[in-house]
Amino acid sequence: MPPRLRSPNFPCAATSSPSIRSQPTAHRSRASREFSQTTCQHATLRRRRFYDWLNGHGSLLKEPLPGSTNYLGAYDRYGNLVRAPPGWTRKTQEEEVKVEEPKTDEAEAEPDKETPEGQEAVDELEMAVRREEEKNKDTRKQKDDDKLPPETAEDLRPFPLNKHFRSQPVLSEELREAIYRRVARDGASVSLASVEFGVSNERVGAVVRLKQIEKEWIAQGKKLALPYAKAVLAMVPTTPYIDPSLPSNKGKRPITHEAINDLIVHPATRQQLFVPVSESRQFTRVDAGKAFDNDLLPADDRIPHPELVQAERDIASGLSLQQRRQLAEERMEQELERKKQIELKRQEALKRVKTVSGRRWDFVFEDVSVESVGRDGRSAKGVGWRYGFPHEDRKKGQVKIPTKVEA
Amino acid sequence: MVLRIRLARFGKSHAPFYNIVVAHARTARNSKPLEVLGTYNPIPQPPRPGDTNGRPWKDIKLDSSRARYWVGVGAQPSDTVWRLLSMVGILEPKFRVGQIKSQVVRADSAAKSLIPPRTISTPPAETQTA
Repeated sequence: MPPRLRSPNFPCAATSSPSIRSQPTAHRSRASREFSQTTCQHATLRRRRFYDWLNGHGSLLKEPLPGSTNYLGAYDRYGNLVRAPPGWTRKTQEEEVKVEEPKTDEAEAEPDKETPEGQEAVDELEMAVRREEEKNKDTRKQKDDDKLPPETAEDLRPFPLNKHFRSQPVLSEELREAIYRRVARDGASVSLASVEFGVSNERVGAVVRLKQIEKEWIAQGKKLALPYAKAVLAMVPTTPYIDPSLPSNKGKRPITHEAINDLIVHPATRQQLFVPVSESRQFTRVDAGKAFDNDLLPADDRIPHPELVQAERDIASGLSLQQRRQLAEERMEQELERKKQIELKRQEALKRVKTVSGRRWDFVFEDVSVESVGRDGRSAKGVGWRYGFPHEDRKKGQVKIPTKVEA
Repeated sequence: MVLRIRLARFGKSHAPFYNIVVAHARTARNSKPLEVLGTYNPIPQPPRPGDTNGRPWKDIKLDSSRARYWVGVGAQPSDTVWRLLSMVGILEPKFRVGQIKSQVVRADSAAKSLIPPRTISTPPAETQTA
């Protein structure tokens, strides 16, 4: 019968089985827990492998590579960085610090060398740009042999067992700042900024709102968690900002962050429909929308950027650049005019209302006209409860359940 | 005959709703008045969707020019109506004078600040004035 309490002089490994003596050093700390009464666990194969990994290849991940996401998927099973060129060796920390300063200058001088990390090629244009960059890289390869190539899509897998999960890029700090400046300072509309930066409407809205809060906090003197933000952004792939004002970026297009013109799936369209239609009838997308729901707009009107489709149509119809530009400007002016009218109406409505704030609630005075009751004073449009008419809420067919909620 | 500006109670039990009416003083409360000036819903409504302050509000509809006329020709507002009319500046406040006056001043300044549309370049300034 084994003693219930072990003396600290005898590590449990010595008493159980000789095979456990080859335990790695990291595990030894357990022996010092003399208060523990649990029986000694067997060092399984898995456990041994785990410690082997921890002391071997895993130790590479302890210190993150600068400018890399440090994902497990970027290393092969022997602990080699997959994308590294054959002669590449990782520098020690002192060397890295030494190289750091000239490296930043270099990056500013030739930013085109830095390809977007984690950008999966979405369309052929992007691919072409990427290929060009690759070519440039090849020419520069002689110059900096020790420099790491950018991460490929395979390197962006944080979970090695889940081959299908790829880490998606987030907006970089500079890009977010540029979006905010474009919308808040230059007064560009959200959809225009969305097209220009290749970021979806919702994301542009969120960026502007959050940036505004950030500026307010800075103005109030609140402390921001900048080191945290910096650390997180260093660990995930980001979409860089290509500043068109720099001479080195001339003629370059901004890197698309995501597909901006995707059709949002409307709940009404989730069902499968079989609509018999006579052959002679034209069944368009408008009809398809109506088939799902009477109020459903056709897909052409529900996409975030219908103006892009219109622009493509103009190209297809063979209009010259001048004409196309003119048409687009006209359309934009119409849109602005419409928005101005809506804003005017809102202002008018606000002017008619006077708000007096009390202790617990506001008194909202709306101006009405007594003339609205009409000459005989019996019009249903008149102000107030009507005289001489019974209330109809007990009648049949009166719907009292609210059919609409304003939110 | 004395003319009064007063409230006429409509609505249901536990759900009051008032018409602001001009009527002869000796007629019944809900009898047909000379004129309906507006309505007063004393139940606070939940904050409106666009409201940033998130305060409940009481809905009052009032034809203020007609109210001014009736006051000018000698109609006598009831206490409650006096309180409401003093909020829009038709009458001198009778109850809690200082408080009502300051409320009116604040509402006026808020309305004035609202009318010139702000430029987009200075979005954070709006929050500081509120």
